[in-house]
Amino acid sequence: MAPNISLIDGSKLIVESLAQSGVEAFISYPITPANWINQYSSKRFPIMTFAPDEITVAQWISGLSVAGKLPATATSFPGLALMVESINMAFMMELPLIIVIAQRLGPSTGSATVGAQGDLMLVNGLISGGYNIPVFSISNIYDCWEVTSKAVYTAVKLRTPVILLTSKEMIMTSHSIDLNKLPKIEKVEFDYYESDEKYIPYQTNKDYVPFYLPLTNNKHQVRINSSTHDETGTIKKATVSALGNTIRLHNKIQRRINEYLMYEYKKETSDLLIVSYDISAESTREAILQLNQKGIKVSFLFPKTIIPFSKELIEIINSYKKVLIVEENLSGLLTKIIYGINQPENVFKVNKIGSMITPSEIIKEVERCFQVY
Amino acid sequence: MFSSLLIDKNSPYCPGCGHLNVTLNLAKAIESLNIDPLDVIVVSDIGCCGLIDPSLASHTIHGLHGRACALASGISLAIENPNKKIIAVQGDGGATIGIAHLLEAARRNFNVTLIVNNNQIYGMTGGQLSGLSSENFQHEHANINESISPFNLIELAKSAGASYTCQLVGKGDFSEYLKKAITINGFSIIEILEVCPSYGYQKYSEIENLGFGTTEFTNERKPFKLNKAEIKSLINFNESKIFFESKLDKPLKIILAGSAGEGIQSAGELFARAAIKCKLNVTKKGDYPITVGTGFSVSELIISPNEIHYTGIEKADMLIAISQVGFDYTKSKIDDSTIVLADSSIQNINSSNKIIFDFGKIFGRKNSAVASLGTLINLKNFFPFEAFEDSLLESKHRDKFLPLIEKIKTFTSEINHIA
Ligand code: SF4
Repeated sequence: MAPNISLIDGSKLIVESLAQSGVEAFISYPITPANWINQYSSKRFPIMTFAPDEITVAQWISGLSVAGKLPATATSFPGLALMVESINMAFMMELPLIIVIAQRLGPSTGSATVGAQGDLMLVNGLISGGYNIPVFSISNIYDCWEVTSKAVYTAVKLRTPVILLTSKEMIMTSHSIDLNKLPKIEKVEFDYYESDEKYIPYQTNKDYVPFYLPLTNNKHQVRINSSTHDETGTIKKATVSALGNTIRLHNKIQRRINEYLMYEYKKETSDLLIVSYDISAESTREAILQLNQKGIKVSFLFPKTIIPFSKELIEIINSYKKVLIVEENLSGLLTKIIYGINQPENVFKVNKIGSMITPSEIIKEVERCFQVY
Repeated sequence: MFSSLLIDKNSPYCPGCGHLNVTLNLAKAIESLNIDPLDVIVVSDIGCCGLIDPSLASHTIHGLHGRACALASGISLAIENPNKKIIAVQGDGGATIGIAHLLEAARRNFNVTLIVNNNQIYGMTGGQLSGLSSENFQHEHANINESISPFNLIELAKSAGASYTCQLVGKGDFSEYLKKAITINGFSIIEILEVCPSYGYQKYSEIENLGFGTTEFTNERKPFKLNKAEIKSLINFNESKIFFESKLDKPLKIILAGSAGEGIQSAGELFARAAIKCKLNVTKKGDYPITVGTGFSVSELIISPNEIHYTGIEKADMLIAISQVGFDYTKSKIDDSTIVLADSSIQNINSSNKIIFDFGKIFGRKNSAVASLGTLINLKNFFPFEAFEDSLLESKHRDKFLPLIEKIKTFTSEINHIA
């Protein structure tokens, strides 16, 4: 097929992908650098309005979700911080929601128009008790399309809030792209309860996920609960059945990861693996091209399903003598997620705040890696 | 007749708790309106009154402290059928922490009924005062005895635009008021003053002695309706047609630097569209301070025959400077090999490769960005000027650009002539 080139930014691709994947409602509160997503959304979703604050955003999208309208929102750290309790609620209630996080420089209000990759630890520890919600990371402009769609699919199939983690430079830069390279997106199907027998809202079979039944149906009573509850959705103290239900929430995310695991891995005959994600993955690609021109080969791994961090990725990483982790934050958040604070000696990092990591900064560190040992 | 809303007559509350009478009155209201319990969605808050769920045959959803009204509002956004009844139940504590939610629900007039069970005390946490505790509230368990007048929730909701507001003392049969609240289209709030034998008032007479009685107000206002915008795909899948050829064999990094209001971002966009017409890959990044209407405005453009990954510019191949503030912001990205095209007003350009013209005077400040980009294309020919011309003529400012194109052409030929 002849190429069909268009000038497009990541925000637009994300919104279009959300809509084609089945998102029907979008609620948000204005915040930089998520504003382009918010603006595009006002022309793309049948249900779209701005809420007066991010707690309200998170509650309204939860209400939409439980009534059968798949919702999404976009925000940045300050908004995410306000949403944390409500995202816990949606996780416990098992409501599909898609939350796009456009990272910017922190701490606190930081700099709204400066990009960053500073929120990985926060989204990893978002749920009280250490449960994970799936977090996806966009590592190039085409990912705005495909990874977004996977995030929607995962939210619906696993009945869970999901986070699409991106950053200012990724979604506010325009690119020429070949529209013919965007795969067709199928609208995700909900697995509805169709039996005449009594509906038990949190009963599941072995796939760990209960059937859907919106609160708008007239056939079966639906009980949804944010507090500790058993499979009937009735509030319980820490009874065996209620705890079993809570443990299932952990299992469904961890044990079904292969259904939503996405990554890009290029294996070269090299001792060195570069691991990166989000905007820094683009600098890494460029650095690797330049290294190739000098005859230096390195492998790379870009996790796109970044939380939970899959064992499959750990195995790849562990098969290398040296690992270089590239991310735009001060102390290496992905490094901490993979290794804890006990960073092994064969692990190197490129970290920076305030502007994108440049290809030459990566190349310099790669050359240093080769000198060590 | 539909079945009863009440499926469990055992009270989940302390003996004598006012919440039980509210539950019974709610059931009576729903039954006498002959509403199918499965047309009712009860959204309950955290607090003793949130224990209502298991008693009911309706759909129930039990959320966070203070957010029941917001959650109910979200549900109402999904439902167009006015026969579906969304009823949020919260206490005075929940109404205090979530007061913004109920004001917003009233302002938008969502189709939601909010019942506020006001016993003037936080029951579940041991008797603290809420924003709805009256200043004369005296009780041994009220651990901080501050005398602060409470929010007048009903007046607040009324002025925010609720369709129906009502305050009453929760003894006996008050189901008629609940029926009104549930039937009215739009947002209804009904605040029920209650006893809490464990921490608050024991007798309704004590509440009446504070001066509470029944007040209600109806506001003729249409319920909220979503403004349904026309929805269409954001991507035009049949967009590009490629017309021109470029001889560019490596990436070219161009910075266009000026001030807010000089059309820097839109000029960058027109340039990028022109590059696409020449089969080039392009990226365009805007850079400006947090307040977009003032200070510098910079557009970073990369064009390349190859795929572009890193979209930043460490060293520019070309810099166009329209104003001093833009130049100052970007000058760290140039070196001696950078071609600098600058307006004559700009000071301190340390480059041996500079071309200085009076763009502002020749083309006007508003046209400088487009004109200087056009001039650069014409002079350096990294792609045909016709592609840029095409891009300008496709824009919505076609009429403005027609004479400008001629002016750019004449200007460049004059420079070439001089050169
Ligand atoms: S503490 Fe008060 S409000 Fe709570 S159930 Fe007991 S009497 Fe009712």
